[in-house]
Parts: sequence; structure tokens; C-alpha cells
Amino acid sequence: MTGEISGSLNLIGFGLSAIGPGVGIGLIFAAYINGVARQPEARGMLQPIAFLGFALAEALALFGLVLAFVL
Amino acid sequence: MSPLVLAAQGESFTPPGKEDFWWPILGSDTSPWTLTRPAVMAILSVVLIGWFLLAATRHRSIVPGRLQFVGEGAYGFIRESIGRDLIGSRDFLKFMPLLFTQFTLILVNNLFGIIPFVQYPTMSRFGFPVALAAITYITFHAVGFRKKGFVGYFKDLVPPGLPAWIVPFIFLLEFVDKFITRPLTLSLRLFANMFAGHLLLLVFILGAEYLLLHGAPALKIAGVLSGVLAIVMTFFELLVEVLQAYIFTLLTALYIGGALAEEH
Amino acid sequence: MVTPAPQRPSDGHDGPLEEARAWGIVSYLLAGLLTFGGFGMFADHLLGTSWLVLIGLLAGAALAFYLIWFRYGTR
Repeated sequence: MTGEISGSLNLIGFGLSAIGPGVGIGLIFAAYINGVARQPEARGMLQPIAFLGFALAEALALFGLVLAFVL
Repeated sequence: MSPLVLAAQGESFTPPGKEDFWWPILGSDTSPWTLTRPAVMAILSVVLIGWFLLAATRHRSIVPGRLQFVGEGAYGFIRESIGRDLIGSRDFLKFMPLLFTQFTLILVNNLFGIIPFVQYPTMSRFGFPVALAAITYITFHAVGFRKKGFVGYFKDLVPPGLPAWIVPFIFLLEFVDKFITRPLTLSLRLFANMFAGHLLLLVFILGAEYLLLHGAPALKIAGVLSGVLAIVMTFFELLVEVLQAYIFTLLTALYIGGALAEEH
Repeated sequence: MVTPAPQRPSDGHDGPLEEARAWGIVSYLLAGLLTFGGFGMFADHLLGTSWLVLIGLLAGAALAFYLIWFRYGTR
């Protein structure tokens, strides 16, 4: 019994490429939560760094999404 | 896997897809005016919310009864933590009806996705989140234009203190962001979360049913596991649904507050 | 039940604003990728090349990073 899978290979690439940013964003915010838990006064200092890191990791995920449609 | 499946009798398994969301009640399959089940459920949700709020405010007393307590709790939560904090205590009261309506509407419609015998999130039809996001879009731009004037609003898009040669690019980026991407992500986030969640539940539940009834004995264990996962995913769906209602209302309030702010 | 609102603290605690900032970042990145990638695709279509899309995407991402750094990274 054979079957057929149709569709574009882009989606598999997009799905696989979302693993990295997912793990990365989890690690970034885990570090942020750890830092704030150890020293709540540092929240104001850590927040811009956390969001910059989040932007960098999220950019890769969005690259995957956009390129899945473009290519 | 396939020899085991071949050993089963019975029909083959068609995985759930987007055609599982089409549920017409009156009318043909192709006309745009057919009355579908999510449409009826959306109207029902409005009736439910109206009944609940009327019942909660019927006997108003200083010491609240149960219904009044729940109603006040929901309204107070939206008013304090979303309205006052994000729009500012001067003119947040004007927007409270919009925020509260959006929150309760999205919450009740999302919860339809896991209530037994109903089990269809009406927000998983793309038109509904688009309509809500369109209301938000028109509101926050109209508020900004009315407060700062037509040209002043555009001038306020760019944050101050940038080097002058980069301002046109940043203006283009901010323009596309505020006028195209923000409503797009607002509606898409709600729609995609509800659609994917419902599809996930469908896969697990239909898969459990198929494996338990038509699978070889070795696969029945997989059917039981699939059923257990369906229960776990239902609780996860509950969390996601409440969170999505909260985030939608939060972002609406944020955009309105940002449009009303003096400068970024 | 409805208590008076607490004063907005000025030491960086924002509560719901943090989460809203995260979505703002996603929105800016997507806007940058879409516009400048769109320009790149349009230029590709006009000039017949195939790599301008990538340059557009990278330029859009860089511009979005700059705006995000400016707005959220230095305040």
C-alpha cells in the first residue's frame, strides 16, 4: 500500500527552523527570570537586554517564515 | 507501522483538515450567505454575555452577591490592570466599553472550544478575528488623528533623537508597522492559536477513536495514549484561550494608549 | 472590589507592558522583513535578478533591529 505526500518542501524547512529560535527564546527568558529572581532590583537593567536577545532570536524564526513563502 | 495498520479491518483514516471547520446549517456549500454553526454560536455567545451581565447588575448592593462578584471581578480586572495602566487615568474610561466587550466576547467564544457538546472555537474562522482587529485598527488610528492632527500624527511616528539620514527609512518601517503589520498580527495571532488548537484536539481525539476501534491490538495502547494526550491538550487549550483573550485586549489598550501618548 | 489604581512605578516595573513590548518587537521585525523584502522582490521582478530579495530581507531586518534597539534597548 503506497501513499503520496504532496506539498512544498518549504514547510518542512520552516518547521525545522522554528526549533532553534524556540529553544533560544526559552533560554533567554529563563535567564531573565533567574536574574530577576535573584535580585529584583536588577529588573530595570536586565529588561532591555532580554528584549534585545528576544528580537535577535525571533528574527531567525521570522526569516524562516518569510522565506518559506518567498522561495 | 503500515503492516500493523493493514492488519486492521475497517475504513482508512482521513486526518482532520480545514474542511472539518466548515459546518453549514442552512444553505448550500458554496454560497457566501449560508448560515454556519459558528455564526449561530457567535450570536448565542452575545446573548449569553448579555444575560450574564444583566443578571449580575440586577440587584446592585454594596456587599455583592455571587453573580455581581464575578461580574465586578472581571470588569475590575480589565479596568485596572489593562485600562488604567495602559491608557492613562485621564481618558481610559471612554474606551472601557470597547475593551470589556472585546475581552468577554473573545473569552466566551474561545471557551466554546472546550465546553463539551459545543467544542468549536468560533474564532477559528478567519473573518471573526479580522473584524475585531479592524475595530481596534480604526479606533486607535482615529483617536491618534483626532488628538494630534493629520500631519502631527505622522510626525509622531518616528521616535525623536535619530540621525537625520535614517529617518525616511524608519518612517517607512513605522508606517508599514502601524498600518499593516499590527492589525495583521493581531488578527492572525488569535486566529492561528484557535485554529491550531482545535486542529490539535481533533487529531488527538479522532486518532484515539480510530486507533481504539479499528487498530490492531498493538496499536490500541497508542489509542489510549492519544486519548490521555487529548485530555492534557484540553487543559492546555483552556490556558491558551484565556491568554489569547487577555493579549488581544491588552494590545488594543496598548495601541490606543500609544496613540494618545504625548510622545514616545 | 474595585480598588484605586496603584501609582505607576517609575523604576522599570511594567507588568503587562513587558509582554506587549515582546509583541511589538515581533511586529516591527515582520514589518521590516515584509517591506524591504517586498521592495527586493519588486526590484527582482523589474531587473530580472534573483538575489535582490535576500538583500532586501537583510536590510529590512537590520533596520528593524536598529529601531528595536533604539526604542526598547536604550530606555
